[in-house]
Amino acid sequence: MSVVAFERKQDIGEWSERELNTITAALNAALSPATGRTWETGMTEKGDAQFYLLGPLPDQACELCVSRIGGRYVLEDGSGRLLFEHRNLDLVVLHARAAIPSTSRLMVRAIIVWCAIRSVIHEKIEPMLGESEELLVELAPQLAVFA
Amino acid sequence: MKRGKHQDVFAERLAGKVVPDARQLRKTAGDWLKQRRAEAALSQADLAARLGLKYYTFISQVENGFSRVPTELLGAWARELGLEPAAFTRHLLMYYEPELYRLLFGAENK
Repeated sequence: MSVVAFERKQDIGEWSERELNTITAALNAALSPATGRTWETGMTEKGDAQFYLLGPLPDQACELCVSRIGGRYVLEDGSGRLLFEHRNLDLVVLHARAAIPSTSRLMVRAIIVWCAIRSVIHEKIEPMLGESEELLVELAPQLAVFA
Repeated sequence: MKRGKHQDVFAERLAGKVVPDARQLRKTAGDWLKQRRAEAALSQADLAARLGLKYYTFISQVENGFSRVPTELLGAWARELGLEPAAFTRHLLMYYEPELYRLLFGAENK
């Protein structure tokens, strides 16, 4: 009699290699060395697997956490907010990828802030400097008399 | 601008020593929380339910030292463990913000 080996869906215990590969592949960009991020795995007291995406040094705080509870995958952020849950890990990691602030988004924010600062300088500070310059030009001859 | 000696020390700590410390301190805080929960005879699932969390995974995240107890949960977390919220918060601050703790309470009050 021949026995066909079916891949058993893991419900409890440590992450399978396939599960870990799915998660790390989806978060590949977020885990690139330039980001300074890293990841670790752990277990709950009931033996449910957890995957932690950790932010850069010095804090290395958890940014996202994927847990497997009874065959269901749960995505939370580092503050415990439930972001998504599903039995399909591929769907969960898609949401995880979307939840990570990307470098390009940060760049866009930095550019917006820089533009705002320049605009304030242009509108408020430059006229003030111009006024004081005019005042100085007017007062200079009078001050020269006293000198 | 000239920097004071204490500033140099602080910069050195930021660059190197504090790095493993932040994680280690969070882990120590997690172990302390785990002990207090055990003393209150609560499982991670029990505590999560009492805190109104749908899953208990966040309790594990905190106790494993990867996250902090969020500010908005400090009071409820303390009460469910049978602890006084101010003392609970002060104790956790020692691990989460050691420099702030030192400035507020001094090193001798640990």
